[in-house]
Parts: sequence; structure tokens; C-alpha cells
Amino acid sequence: MFAAAGLVLGVMVAVYAVAKAFRLTTELAMFAAALGGSLAGGFGLSPRHLAEGAMTYLDINLIFLTATFFMNLLKESGGVAFAVRKILERFHGNRFLLLVLLTGLLLLPGALTGAGSVTVLITGGMVAVVLQAMGVSPLRTAATVFLVAGLSAAAPPVSLWAMMTAAGVNMPYVGFFWPLLLPCLLLSLLTVFLLAGKGEGASLEEALGRLPEAPTRMNGWRLLVPFGVFGLLVFIGRRWPHETPVLGLPLMFAAAAGAVVLLSPVRLEVLRIARETVQQLLPLLGTLTCVGVLVQIMTLTGVRGLLAVTVVTLPVALVFASLFLVLPLSEAVLMWGAAPVLGVPLVLLFNTIGLDPIVALAGMSVIWPLGDALPPTAIIGRLTVQVVGYRDGYGRFLKACALPAVIIMAVGSAMVIFASQLSFLTGI
Amino acid sequence: MDLPSGSDGAMTRGGGGDRVAALRKTVLATLGAVLLATSGWSFYQSRRLPEPVVLGPGVTRVRTLGEYFAGVRGTVNDCRLYFLEGEEPGGTVLVLGGTHPEEPAGRLAAWLLVENGRMAAGRLIVVLSANRSATTVTRLGGAYPPDFSIPTPWGERTFRMGDRWSNPLDQWPDPEVYIHYPSRQNLAYVDIRNLNRTWPGRPNGTLTERTTYAFMELIRKEGVDLVLDLHEAELQYPVISTIVAHEKGRELAAFVSMLLTDTEFKMGMEYSPKTLHGLSHREIGDHSQAIPLLFEAPEPFLDATRGRTTREALLTGKDEFVKRAGQAGLLFETMDDNGWPIDVRVGRHTSAVLVTLEVWTDFYPDRPLRLEGVPRYADVVALGTGHWLQNPASAPPGRVVVE
Amino acid sequence: MVLFQGVITFLYYLLVACAAGLMLWNLLRSRRWEEEVLYLLVVLPFLLRLFRLK
Repeated sequence: MFAAAGLVLGVMVAVYAVAKAFRLTTELAMFAAALGGSLAGGFGLSPRHLAEGAMTYLDINLIFLTATFFMNLLKESGGVAFAVRKILERFHGNRFLLLVLLTGLLLLPGALTGAGSVTVLITGGMVAVVLQAMGVSPLRTAATVFLVAGLSAAAPPVSLWAMMTAAGVNMPYVGFFWPLLLPCLLLSLLTVFLLAGKGEGASLEEALGRLPEAPTRMNGWRLLVPFGVFGLLVFIGRRWPHETPVLGLPLMFAAAAGAVVLLSPVRLEVLRIARETVQQLLPLLGTLTCVGVLVQIMTLTGVRGLLAVTVVTLPVALVFASLFLVLPLSEAVLMWGAAPVLGVPLVLLFNTIGLDPIVALAGMSVIWPLGDALPPTAIIGRLTVQVVGYRDGYGRFLKACALPAVIIMAVGSAMVIFASQLSFLTGI
Repeated sequence: MDLPSGSDGAMTRGGGGDRVAALRKTVLATLGAVLLATSGWSFYQSRRLPEPVVLGPGVTRVRTLGEYFAGVRGTVNDCRLYFLEGEEPGGTVLVLGGTHPEEPAGRLAAWLLVENGRMAAGRLIVVLSANRSATTVTRLGGAYPPDFSIPTPWGERTFRMGDRWSNPLDQWPDPEVYIHYPSRQNLAYVDIRNLNRTWPGRPNGTLTERTTYAFMELIRKEGVDLVLDLHEAELQYPVISTIVAHEKGRELAAFVSMLLTDTEFKMGMEYSPKTLHGLSHREIGDHSQAIPLLFEAPEPFLDATRGRTTREALLTGKDEFVKRAGQAGLLFETMDDNGWPIDVRVGRHTSAVLVTLEVWTDFYPDRPLRLEGVPRYADVVALGTGHWLQNPASAPPGRVVVE
Repeated sequence: MVLFQGVITFLYYLLVACAAGLMLWNLLRSRRWEEEVLYLLVVLPFLLRLFRLK
């Protein structure tokens, strides 16, 4: 059984490598690896398994679509530009407060949608303009936006790494709020102050001149009511769960999107924005769909079991010591697929040795996004560099990320090692 | 019309390029349609796979859950209830199979009760598909087979594999967080479709909540004394090879555990945690007169460390990877080369039911429950589960129904 | 309440139909084979749900 599964794993790795060598996207390389694994495992090309795997993250894809649609509508209505300009106007004299608020702006989209790329696309560009106006170099700006975008993706309420791993071990996605929020918030602030704490600021006028104009009729109410609608629906669902029907996150985001359309001071081309949202999200939707197929085939052929049993039987000290390396590398290769493939056995191991699985998983979730800057995928790293407008070498960008990244790795690893001592954070 | 950004990067030029693009799209769309049609047909078929049930000599009536609560009438979860009524009066026991259909030994054991059992005293109500919706789907990413077949002396019987959760086609969407009724405990969002997290249910809730509410109505209206909920668990889960008992059934469960361990196989016993809500062993006891007991048999096919996910692995319960995890001290049950074959798991459940009824009758002689004709652990292991499954083709007219 | 929940479920099917429609529309406009393959894979679960197959 070990040899057979090892052989299938070898075929999958080889197919993935060849696909990447032929410059296939990571999503399709994963799909090709799944097909190769299925054939090598003697299962042929089972339509049932391919489709069942593809279905795995349908609900998460729906959350992605509706949340990003909501944020895109908000951006097109001028709401995001309005918020950034107002923050800049109000706090340009107070660098500390301004940085805190910009951190909040960067954290919000990713926390709501679970995707760092949404942060980069929705608020990353505008926050980058403000940071550069505050005298932060494009290099440091890119590093700041990337790192906080990664932390925003790990932040609650939607943290895909935690959700996918928890689902894989039949663990409720409950008790994660504080263990995820505290490190994400504190590490984001630390990152922002480390990288953007110092700099000679440009004048307010110059900074505002480089930001997109907000429509004149845009105001605080038009900006906040859609968030209010979303928050209200979440609140109602939690306060009166047995008196109201189950709405689910996608419909809540869709309702918030509806509020943006109704309140927008400019006429929104809803269909165009919807189409562009789908286009923008294709790599992420594709990743989740192909990860689902890959995991299904790995499970079918025993490769997942092989990886799982190998991981859970490693010496615990070795696991602790290598988390900072293994998690980002697995993310770089499999993106979110790292959670069900590697996260599940690790959480089982931590649970078995008596660690609090929620805190341990939260600690791992903080480390995982760092891999989004690393090849072969580097999807969010490259996106950030492009959006921020940093044009020098990618290696220098990685170097600029290094110090905060080391701190993030240390905090995440410490959360795993001291998970039991930190279990009070879960509130369970 | 604007082109979506990025889609025109490698646009081919001229009529020839357009023709190539159109041809490529047609080929890809055809492949996509074939994948959609073939996978869809597979899902459609397995959702509707008929599972025949031969009504054994002891089955006196077949009713449906919807007769006890209109809120599930006509739905996929309007499951059948098999009544086995003894000539002598006695207590009433309800056996739930299929709370989690991806734990098939529980369903199969219930099948053996229906097709072989006779009540000498008291009443037995058997459910084969407590969450029938969950029998029509397999776990996403789990790569489970859609069905499995049990060999019998006259051929084979095929059963749906099923999932732990209701089919999203019958209950969608899931909430942002599942808040259990009435405790308000926060549970995983997906568990709003888990029948063993929605007890005691509510009449105007989701399909799964209405199903548990309907069972509560059945328990109340039929005056059920004892509820036995048959499950299986992965070996890396601490609650395994055990009885989980509501405090009302403390002594009963302790005696059953001792008797089974002394005479047939090791069986533990633990109390239902008072702070963990939605489970049958907690809520049925808290919200009705009945004593609930939940039985867990070991099932390596559910372990995350398992190897190839095949029908064979489901039936043999053998797995080298799970064995290796056991050697590393990570399991809560032994795992050797013999594995945990389906016959062993089914036999554990039939014996657990039989011994529980025997102990019950000793405890409550005024409400006896005497069940005959059902094979014990040793019988099932020796002759196989299939030996005790009756042939629908040779059943008397009107004595076959379909689950 | 049960009826209201039915309406919500219907809205979800509508949402899935809209998303699938947008994907197929983008697929038709796409000129890159990799993107076309990815759209076909991504739309598959949406269509399986829309047609109530999975």
C-alpha cells in the first residue's frame, strides 16, 4: 500500500512539474496532476470523482463571488475612494492614527472574503498611493500591502485555511474568532509600523491629487449603510436564529451589494461589474475547484493517507521546528490545497498530543499566507507588485518582506507550540 | 461590449484564427458537456438506487415518519418505520440506523433486525434511514464509492453509501454559524445538516431539524422507553467501541458494557456530556421519557489517514496506513492485519442491541423487551452479514418494500 | 417559515444560475485556451447544482 500510493504520488508530482515546465497555470497543473494520479492509481478518469471533487468548495466559491462583487460595486460607486480620501484628510497630520486606519482598510476586504487578492484589488492600490504619499518607498509599500493582505485573508470571519482544515477533521468552525483576530490585527499593525512607520510625507494636496476622485454625492451614509445591511443580517441570524430563515453568507453579501447599487451616487453598470468580478476571480475559483479535484483524487488513491500518516508519525519536535518552512512552501505549491492536504493531518497530530486544535490551526493559518509570495504560484505577491506599481526585482520585494515575515512565522509557530496555554482565546 | 480584462491577451487574428478558436471552444465545450452529463447521471442514479427491504416474520406494520409530524410528510426524510410487535405486552424500543449513513454498519445491523427479528414481548420500532436525505449523497472530497454490495448465498444486495450530512439538494443554504435549538450552542455551520446535531429539533426549522422533531413526536406518541442509535467512528476519534449514555441510562449502559465485554467483545461506556448539545444521547433523554444510548463501532474507512478509498476497503476494514498510525500510538482502538471487517462491525451492533434488551428486561420486568431470530456477533462473523439478508425475489407477495 | 426558507433556497438557485451564466458568457468571449478550460471546470459544480444533480 505504501509503495503503490508512493508511486501515484510520484506520478502526480511529475505531472505537476511537467505541466509547470510547459508554463501551464497552477490551477491546470493541479488538475493535470489529479488526472495523472487517477490514471496511475488504476481508477481511470472517473467523471464522478472529478465532478465530486470540483463540487467541494462550491459554497466557498459562492461566498467569494458575492463578497467580491459587493466590494467591487463599492469601489465603482466611489465608496472606497471616499473612505481613503476622508481618512487622509482627517488624519494626515497624525501618522500613527493614519497608519492604524489604513491597516483597518487593508484588513477589511480580506477578512470578509477570505481572499488576500481581494484586499490587494479593492483597497491595496489606494492604500499604496497614500503610503507612498507618506514617503514610503514603492518597495516597502508593496511588502506592506502583500503582508497585510495575507493576514487579512487569515483574519476572521472568513479564514479559508481554518475553514477547510476544520471541515477536514469534522471540527466545528467555532472558537476561531479571537485566536485569528488577535494575531492578524497585531501582526498587521506591527508590519505596517515596521515597514511604513517612517518617511517624509508629501503635502495633503499632492497625496489627494494622486487618489481617484470620489463622486460629489458620495457620503458617509452611502458608504456605511451597505456594511450596516450586512452586519444587520449577520446580527439577526445570530440573535434570532430560530425565528428567521437561514440566509447564508452569499445572500448576505448579495443583499449588501444590492444596497450599494441602490445608494450609489453614480449609475453602476451592474452586469459589467458582475462579469468583471467573475473574470477577476477566475484564478481563485479555479484554484479552489482544482484543489477540490486534486484532494478527491489524492483521497481516492491513498496519496492523502500516505501524506497524512507520514506527517502524523514524524517526531513532534521536528514538526514544530519545520512549520515555518513547510506551511509557506505547501501554500506556494498547492495554495489553499495545502489546508486539506497538510493541515488536516497536522491538526489530527496536534489534537492527539493534547494541544488545543483551534489555537494550533489559527497559528498555522497565520503562517500559510506567506507562501503566496513564493514561486511556483506567487499569485498574490505578483498581483501586489503589479497593483502597487513596484517595478524593480521580485527578489528585492521578497527581501523587504523578510523581517515581518520572520516575526509572523515565529508568532504562528509559538501559537501552535503553546496552543494549550492559549486555549482561553477560543472562549469554549 | 467590453471584453473582460485579460481575456484578449492572446487573441488570435483573422478568420483562420477565429475558426480555430471556435473549433477549440466547441471541442472543450463538448468535453465539458460529457463530463457534466456522465457525472450527473452517476449522481442521479446513485441518489435513486432502490434498496429493497424484505419484511421479516416479525414485522407487523410499516408506517412512515410523516404520520407523526406533517412537517416531514412527503419529503425525502419521510422515512419508513418498521414495527415488530410481540404477542406479550412490554416496553417499546426504537432502533435508529442511518443517522449517519456513511457509517454503514449501523444501517446494516438495523436491516438484519427487520429481516430476521421477532418480538416475543414488547415492541421494536426500527428505522433504516433516519436521515434518508443523507443516504443519497457521498461526502465531497471523501472519494467514497456511491454504493457497496454485500454478498449473500443467493446473489448480492447493494446499498447506498451515504454521507454524514443531509444532501444540500434537500437543504440549502447553510447558515454562517449553526445555533442549536433550544440550547443556542454555536456549532459548525455544516452541522445544521447533521441529524445527530439537531436533536430535539423544531417544527418550523430546516429539514434536518424537522426530522429530529418528527422522531421526538414518534418517541412521545408511541411512549418509547429506549432509543438505540447505531454509529461507527474513525479510530483516531476517542469516542469509539463504546456506549454513550444519557445519565438516565447509566446503570443500564454499565451492565450492557460489562456483559458484552465479559461474553462477546470489548465495549466501553461513557456518559453523555451535559454541555454538548444536539446529540441523540443528550437531547432525547432531556426532552422525553425515553432513555437514549448511542453505540459506536470502529470504522477505519472513516480515518483521514486511510489508504485507497474503495468498496473493498469499506467491507474488509483493512488499511496499512491506519495500522501505521496505530503503531505510532495515535489511535483509540487497536488496528492489526485483520482490520475491522463489515461483519465484525455489524455483529457488534446486533449483539449490542440484543444484550441491551436482555439487560433492560432484567431491569424492568414489567416492561419486557424480548427479541428473537436476530444473529449475535459470533453468528454474523461466522456466516457473514449477507447470510442474514433475505432474498427479495423469493419473499412472499407484499413483503418487500423499498427504502 | 418553511415557505420562506424555500424562497431563500430558490434565490440561491438564481444566484448559481447568474454565476454560471456569467461564467459561460466570459467563456465565449475568452481567447485563451487555458482560461477556457478553467471556466469549464469552474462552471461544472454550478451547473450540477443548478440542474439538481449534486
